[in-house]
Amino acid sequence: MIKIVKRDQPSKAIFFFTPVLAIFLTLIAGGIIFYILGFKPFEALKFFFIVPIADKYGFSELLLKATPLCLIAIGLSFCFKSNNWNIGAEGQLTFGAIVSGGVALLFYDQEGFYILPIVILAGAIGGMIYASIPAILKTYFNTNEILVSLMLVYVSKLILDYLVVGPWSNPEGFNFPETRQFSDSARLPLLFEGLRIHAGIFLALAAVVISWFVFYKTYLGFQMKVSGFSLKTAKYAGYKGKKMIILVFLISGACAGLAGVGEITGPIGQLHREVSPDYGFTAIIVAFLGRLHPVGIIFASLVVAITYLGAETAQIFMQIPKYTGQVFQGMILFFLLASDYLLFFKFKFIDSKK
Amino acid sequence: MNTNLKISNVTKIYPGCVANDNVSLELNSGKIYALLGENGAGKSTLVKILSGVVIPDEGKIYLNKNILKLNSPSDAKKNDIGMVFQHFNLFETLSVFENLIIDSDEQRENLKEKIDTIMKKYNFSVDLDVPVLNLSAGQKQKVEIIRCLIRSPKVLIMDEPTSVLTEQETSELFLSLKKFSEEGILIIYITHKLKEVMQLCDEVAVMRRGKLVSVSQINNENIESLANKMVGQDLKTIKKKKENTSSEQLIKITNLNFTSEDPFETNLVDINFSLNRGECLGIAGISGNGQSELFQVLSGEIISNKNSIEFNKNFIGDLNPQERREYLMAFSPEDRLEQAAIPQMAIFENVALNNFKSSNFFNNGLINKSKIKEHSKKIISEFNVNTDNIDLKSQFLSGGNLQKLIIGRELITSPDLLICFNPTWGLDVGAINYIHETLIKINEQNKSIILISTDTDELLKLSDKISVIHRGKLSKIMNAEDVTSEKLGILMGGGN
Repeated sequence: MIKIVKRDQPSKAIFFFTPVLAIFLTLIAGGIIFYILGFKPFEALKFFFIVPIADKYGFSELLLKATPLCLIAIGLSFCFKSNNWNIGAEGQLTFGAIVSGGVALLFYDQEGFYILPIVILAGAIGGMIYASIPAILKTYFNTNEILVSLMLVYVSKLILDYLVVGPWSNPEGFNFPETRQFSDSARLPLLFEGLRIHAGIFLALAAVVISWFVFYKTYLGFQMKVSGFSLKTAKYAGYKGKKMIILVFLISGACAGLAGVGEITGPIGQLHREVSPDYGFTAIIVAFLGRLHPVGIIFASLVVAITYLGAETAQIFMQIPKYTGQVFQGMILFFLLASDYLLFFKFKFIDSKK
Repeated sequence: MNTNLKISNVTKIYPGCVANDNVSLELNSGKIYALLGENGAGKSTLVKILSGVVIPDEGKIYLNKNILKLNSPSDAKKNDIGMVFQHFNLFETLSVFENLIIDSDEQRENLKEKIDTIMKKYNFSVDLDVPVLNLSAGQKQKVEIIRCLIRSPKVLIMDEPTSVLTEQETSELFLSLKKFSEEGILIIYITHKLKEVMQLCDEVAVMRRGKLVSVSQINNENIESLANKMVGQDLKTIKKKKENTSSEQLIKITNLNFTSEDPFETNLVDINFSLNRGECLGIAGISGNGQSELFQVLSGEIISNKNSIEFNKNFIGDLNPQERREYLMAFSPEDRLEQAAIPQMAIFENVALNNFKSSNFFNNGLINKSKIKEHSKKIISEFNVNTDNIDLKSQFLSGGNLQKLIIGRELITSPDLLICFNPTWGLDVGAINYIHETLIKINEQNKSIILISTDTDELLKLSDKISVIHRGKLSKIMNAEDVTSEKLGILMGGGN
């Protein structure tokens, strides 16, 4: 007989094992879905997960997609670790893209080494401004940050829409909903000739290192952690709990804003309606799959990035809609939450003869 | 009609602990039974089994020779077992009457009649139309009791009912319980207050570590014998040595006011007192009369006028807790799990919550883990915290051990003043004794204590001076020798 018993304290091993289990279960479930749709499961999974990254170009694309996911997820980990449920990273990304895009457009006919840093900074500030709205409303007016941050996503997308159709649209663009191309000085440099992977990856890696350092080594990180668990305790210890909340939102917004900068000054090179295929939402899955740990987030962002690529390959070669990618992302989150049950409970085999 | 409740060989095992180990007990109506035991002794598990909240692994319950199937609280209700929990299960914003009828399927008019009869019979006076949030704790409890009585229960279980009551309310409750008992309701009274057992009950069952260790007539017992049975060892009785305390003033509070924006908080009105070195000032009161606000104002969680608090010749009213710690104040809040410590964090991380410049836990903004760990080990050994793993999450410490850790964390820096709020709330006798000894010891070292507590016995035992807080106002400060628990009770209820 199998009995389910509560664990005393979740072990480190199981903590990192359950994400792997979740990915494994996702593959099985994905195979079953492909089978029902009339494909050979193994072949389909191969098209989805292996073919897209089998060559140099594919690998570069993988890193290209993983970069914003990783960057945003790192920012979100600050919020989530301190129990602030910022789910509006997509909006912060969009607003960061708007601000930095606006700055880049100011310089559209200029060259100069100083342009890119200004554009990047503008993106981070844009994200921070946008994230400060739910943060301030939460700390001073007791609003729910989940609702506010989510609704602001749609606001930012509409602002972007208005700008690229109206005031910022390219005068020589035949009324296409897009801005001018940015000047080369406002573009993140490509790392390799012929591949789209760009210098934005270093921003992501820097964010990983910095967040690890802040969280595990500094007093500031400790205060954030305490404030997240209990504002009452933070107050008792003499920390400025409200400031901590605003700070984690700002960090998170800055990261999302930078991800937005990376997109528009990297592969896109201008502003148009869709600067992000929902990276800001998908990064929530990445953050949890990576256990809110910087290193875990790197791996998680790579895994989830594959679902974007796989969806495209699957659409081209198997005529499956690319939204299958979202199905896989959803399944990963679903199985992760389910297998987290193992963190707190374990199966025990009991001799049934007794 | 006689009621016979038989608990037969009940066992309930939780991971890592046997909560009830083969417990058998037979109870008859006409008597009031005390179920006595330390925290974690298994009494609440047993009671939860009787009220259908917990299903036992083994064993059976019989009521009047019929086997009972108790798979849910509603099963218990159906079988005429009523239960009044320690924490009230009432809807604060609904009226008393609405609360009473909410889980009943009888006609409104019938119920109204029934409630009136019950209130008349037992002399309960509760206004049925006011919202529950306007009631005192004692009245809320009456509402809970009436809710049980509507179903004319055969068995009534009371879980630590007096923890929130004044002396007067307690004696009223005892009168009612005795009346119920005379009418044939079997009463099980759960407590760890020995005095109440002696006062109220006819028989006493003592539990220790999941086992039933004794069942006896109250006439054959006294407070010491029961305490020893409960703890399983002879307890030292501690008494405060009356030394000549110094007359050097340590803290002086002048015209301290606090007005809250939150309607559920209590405003503090014109608080004035002073305290000398080596003295313990006890502040008594029924919970919810401003104790929590007073604690926060003293600790600096709520900042007040700079000049309203003078500590060691410095004016510190506008400083936050961390800044006040630098002036050698220490604080132990009431809520161990939500404020004084963070259960999800390791023991050593919780130690770092009390942080001084001189403690060097954080240098240049970086965490100095080895320093914190070294300090934590010192606290654990000096204050008898029963663990040797400082990486353990503090949720795995028992209440007593966690409180020792917190008190230890606050005291190891030898502060001049410790402000503590219900430091022994919910602890077992052994841990209570330890905390009391510790508090007496620091008084003897010429350090001062402000003890805010709802436990009158504790206050009388430890304090040199006592004041009572009622609706945010402090009574005049009395010498502890001149105070009796009756007198405190009257002041706590708002009398003179």
